[in-house]
Amino acid sequence: MALSDAWKRLSWIYYQYLLVTALYMLEPWERTIFNSLVVSVAGMAVYTGYVFMPQHIMAILYYFEVIQ
Amino acid sequence: MTESSSSKLLNGGARHRPANGAKAARNGSVKSRCLFQQQKYLRPRGKVRPARVRSCENLLYNNHVARNGGMYKKPFVEYFEETPLLVAVLTYMGYGILTIFGYLRDFLRDWKIEKCHVAREREEQKDFVPLYQDFENFYTRNLYMRIRDNWNRPICSVPGAKMDLVERVTHDYNWTFEHTGKVIKDVINMGSYNYLGFAENTGACAAAAAEATQRYGAGVNSTRREMGNLDKHEELEVLVARFLGVEASMAFGMGFATNSMNIPALTGKGCLILSDELNHASLVLGARLSGSAIRVFKHNNMQSLEKLLRDAIVHGQPRTHRPWKKILILVEGIYSMEGSIVRLPEVIALKKKYKAYLYLDEAHSIGALGPGGKGVVDYFGLDPRDVDIMMGTFTKSFGAAGGYIGGKKELVDYLRTHSHSAVYATSMSPPVAQQIIASMKCIMGEDGTNLGRERLQQLSENTTYFRRRLHEMGFIIYGNEDSPVVPMMLYMPAKIGAFGREMLKRNIGTVVVGFPATPIIESRARFCISAAHTREMLDTCNVGYLLWSCFQLLGLNICVFLKPLCCLPFSLMIL
Repeated sequence: MALSDAWKRLSWIYYQYLLVTALYMLEPWERTIFNSLVVSVAGMAVYTGYVFMPQHIMAILYYFEVIQ
Repeated sequence: MTESSSSKLLNGGARHRPANGAKAARNGSVKSRCLFQQQKYLRPRGKVRPARVRSCENLLYNNHVARNGGMYKKPFVEYFEETPLLVAVLTYMGYGILTIFGYLRDFLRDWKIEKCHVAREREEQKDFVPLYQDFENFYTRNLYMRIRDNWNRPICSVPGAKMDLVERVTHDYNWTFEHTGKVIKDVINMGSYNYLGFAENTGACAAAAAEATQRYGAGVNSTRREMGNLDKHEELEVLVARFLGVEASMAFGMGFATNSMNIPALTGKGCLILSDELNHASLVLGARLSGSAIRVFKHNNMQSLEKLLRDAIVHGQPRTHRPWKKILILVEGIYSMEGSIVRLPEVIALKKKYKAYLYLDEAHSIGALGPGGKGVVDYFGLDPRDVDIMMGTFTKSFGAAGGYIGGKKELVDYLRTHSHSAVYATSMSPPVAQQIIASMKCIMGEDGTNLGRERLQQLSENTTYFRRRLHEMGFIIYGNEDSPVVPMMLYMPAKIGAFGREMLKRNIGTVVVGFPATPIIESRARFCISAAHTREMLDTCNVGYLLWSCFQLLGLNICVFLKPLCCLPFSLMIL
């Protein structure tokens, strides 16, 4: 019950994404290209965040003189 | 009454300060003799706090309520809400993505990886100047074709309040269509210009038109000048002149041709045409064909028009500085893409002061505005003799086809000999002329029933109700409160296609408009209210389940002042 509600909500959000980015008008293979581009860019951003987050956090703490 | 108020203005005894309190700008002595001072429209400072749903009256401070010198008898309220910034950015982004994919598809077509369905030059013409490389063709190939199924839908019944559509499917993404053989029945028609509901196949008008066909046949087989002048045409012209309150009128077979073929007969080289920014293509075509100089003033903006008039009179023709032979102002009664009504009292005051001529195109407003249905002149309560040339069409409120021009007898006699349409175009078909005669008599109340007056009242009630409900639901609507043309903003390109299709799924037929009929980010859905719509039909259309779920589905843009609606729960989601 909750799962189907969540699934409906996710579908609605995906539909809004399709409308706003005008993917609604494109053919399925064009949607695949664009979605894979978006997923790869997002994936790269997440990976970079994962790799560099410890160093960034240390640098911030060092700046605010919490750690020496 | 209008004479006295406009002559008061001419005598310089005008009140320069309009009732809404904006101060007049004083930039030197020349400006201070202007009829209409510059007014600053101040946007509200700071964020608008959407604490609770406000009533429509609070929207007024962002819109122009014109009360210039008491020329308007009732408040003239028009809404042209600005595009919200986020929506504009997202719309541009959407168009950018579509353009990139358009280039990709063009590349594939050029390299023959994909089959090309469009027209292209032949192999021998490859070195000639390219025909299909401009933006219009790019747009047609790559953007319009993808959502083409929203337009040109075949109708197989009378386009009244409800109609039947032929069902079409496409297997190659709108390049070709096939009819499945089924018919979608009883689609609520929100797109036909059927303002008074005369598009019907039963009733007195249709019976009269059938009888005229029996008597005269369907075709006329000649032009007005040669052998095509029937007594029906003469009867029609006398009736139209009486309806409008002018001395004489002339009827033509096609509304577009009325404008484009008669403006060249009225002006020529050495004349000046001042036309509104958003004039219809027929007016623009007629102005260009005439060979006059054309200057454009901002839409419905009287300061801009006055400035142009003053410049024209002071400086004259461009190089020689001779005075212009005549100055013609082209305006429309209701602008069909915006739903705005022309500020006719002010235009007439300007025309009298600067001695210009006025051409009023009442294509959408005749029959639809005014207590007697006599158009925008009746709506403002002005004298029809003030407008030099009154033009209109019979397509919209009378359920027929064709156009007319009305004015002084000398003008109409001149047009009978000098108009291209009279000399070369076939005259109006007899059943069509009879339909106009019957419907016009009905509107005037001369056929003995109350039908005309009921329909006029029903139209204005429907208009007020529909606009109010759409405002309450929070959509962005353009135009004047009293105009039966209701444009609802969609903005994003994908929503144009999605809106048309979703409404058809819910059995409502709408017209969606995008570029090039509108500016590229301001695409809209245009509803035309009809007297034939009942309250239940309008309710199904907006209040119910249907438009509301469409709204939820598409996340359509909401008026800034009614933000709380977007916080409603997602319980009405339909997918």
